[in-house]
Amino acid sequence: MKLNDIRQNIDLIDSKILKLINDRMEQGLLAKKFKENIEDPEREKEVLETVKNNANTLIESKFSEELYKTILKFSKELQTRDLVITGFQGEHGAYSEEAVRCYNKDYVTIPCTTFNEVFEGVNSGIYDYGIVPVENTLGGMVGPVNELLINTELNIVGAIDMPIHHCLLMVPGTDHRDIREVYSHSQALAQCRRFLSRNKLTPVPYFDTAGAANMLAEKQPRGAACIAGKLSAELYNLDILKENIEDLNSNRTRFLLLSKHEPKEEGSKCTITFSTEHKAGTLFSVLELFASNGINLTRIESIPNEPGDYSFFLDFDGSVKDAAVVETLEKAEEQTSGFKVLGCYNEKIIEQT
Amino acid sequence: MSKLKLVELTDQGKRTRIKVGNITLGEDFVVIAGPCGVESEKQTLETAEAVKAGGGMMFRGGAFKPRTSPYDFQGLGLEGLRILEKAKLNTGLPIVTEVIDPRDVSWVCEFADILQIGARNMQNYSLLKEVGKAERPVLLKRGMYSTLKEWLNCAEYILAEGNLDVILCERGIRTFETYTRNTLDLSMVPAIKELTHLPIVIDPSHGTGKLSLIEKMSLAAVAAGADGLLLEVHINPCEAKSDADQQLNPGQFAGLMQKILKLNQFMQDKAFKSSITGGDM
Repeated sequence: MKLNDIRQNIDLIDSKILKLINDRMEQGLLAKKFKENIEDPEREKEVLETVKNNANTLIESKFSEELYKTILKFSKELQTRDLVITGFQGEHGAYSEEAVRCYNKDYVTIPCTTFNEVFEGVNSGIYDYGIVPVENTLGGMVGPVNELLINTELNIVGAIDMPIHHCLLMVPGTDHRDIREVYSHSQALAQCRRFLSRNKLTPVPYFDTAGAANMLAEKQPRGAACIAGKLSAELYNLDILKENIEDLNSNRTRFLLLSKHEPKEEGSKCTITFSTEHKAGTLFSVLELFASNGINLTRIESIPNEPGDYSFFLDFDGSVKDAAVVETLEKAEEQTSGFKVLGCYNEKIIEQT
Repeated sequence: MSKLKLVELTDQGKRTRIKVGNITLGEDFVVIAGPCGVESEKQTLETAEAVKAGGGMMFRGGAFKPRTSPYDFQGLGLEGLRILEKAKLNTGLPIVTEVIDPRDVSWVCEFADILQIGARNMQNYSLLKEVGKAERPVLLKRGMYSTLKEWLNCAEYILAEGNLDVILCERGIRTFETYTRNTLDLSMVPAIKELTHLPIVIDPSHGTGKLSLIEKMSLAAVAAGADGLLLEVHINPCEAKSDADQQLNPGQFAGLMQKILKLNQFMQDKAFKSSITGGDM
């Protein structure tokens, strides 16, 4: 072992420590939602006692107490700020998190394991917003999200449509010639299929892109790399071997921002959901209402509820304050069941770079 | 040269044309310029801007360097390729860079527009076979001890693997002369044109190794009918980590470009062409 190797280990440990402290700060922000007062001397005392009595040989209680006083001080300071908390599915570095940053860089992002957790967190008031992907230009609709949308009481308050650029990431110091396997979400692997085959790399499916980056940094499997976003490279201290490795540069994903409240500003785009009777021409007659009032539909999706019964999603340009829209929606509601306006919002479109 | 099935000029006289970006090699006169080695991001990006401003059509730079001594600067490797990619993004100039290891070929293809096989690797047959399978044109430099026949056989290796886009590059050979670094063999230009359908470019930087001789030999190459030039340009030649004595500074390069383009225009003039050949050429 050389000094350089040791230093590389230290850098890796530092990036992990910071990541853990960040996780702790996040939990502090969530805890605040349950507290009347930020100050809680009892709990603070309990935390300090626990860390003072830790069993790590090199860490003396004086040091751990000082360290934790600093951590607690900053955690409390964060809690006093009026931070907007947004839940997303995946681990830190996920494309959903990049979407939140593009939407509003001041929003704090908290990772969730499932889409359901995102919806429930917003519903219960732990998160101010939730962000979910609804469709990708190459992969199509995100089924589980659309199913949750049909049954939710939440409002769509914003949308962001942005290009997705994949990067090949590796542990610093890896020889690119040794790379054989590439870990990532199956969707990302599919979007880089030609790149992988050109370089004779074996795709290995993983549950999540950012999760693959995290695993790579943690376990450092031999001869392995991963496909994830640029943000993951920064967060997990990985080197970018190659950027923009997607086979088509028209790879885009559309995300929706969800909230318990209605949007403050007037929207220019709407999403509705409804079911129709199983009779010839019922869907057509609903769509006809939009056509005859000159309303431009931007997305139509059908989701099976149970055999023979479908829910439809309709996105269209316009505001629920437009007279033509109001009239059309009134008529549409009469002809359908389970009719619901999910939201009238503004969509942010990030151009291809 | 009976075994050169693929590189030989046929009776139809059809010549190879290679489209890279908006340049057609073998048709448009091309000047490929840039530093010997990619030393840092700053040096490379600045040089690329200078090459673009001076009128260069493609950018060259070595990320993997085959050096005489193992203790000399070996290049930045993959990091160098990423810097070249950035240079292309900034300037739009296609990238020409050397590949020295068969295991690197697919990776270099991800970043470069033309793969260069250096003089020292001209007869590295496993490397030739690998670039022969690549989907990028190959610039094949003449080995410093190689005859024309050996050189063309190496080109044949690449074509035989299916890659028909080969550009030959004369960069000087070893002779008993010590004043120049190598002896630039310009007679190769008409010889290549007579024997093969492949384009040929001249590298007067390595061919002479002397700054003071580069301009005249560049112009001589144009007059000899070469399809292009490979020139070493460095934003600050005295600080270069390799080939410091033969790299032009941006001002010298821009000045030389003016003369090259003027002479090339004269050479391409139809009336002049027919007056020296006495017929169509």
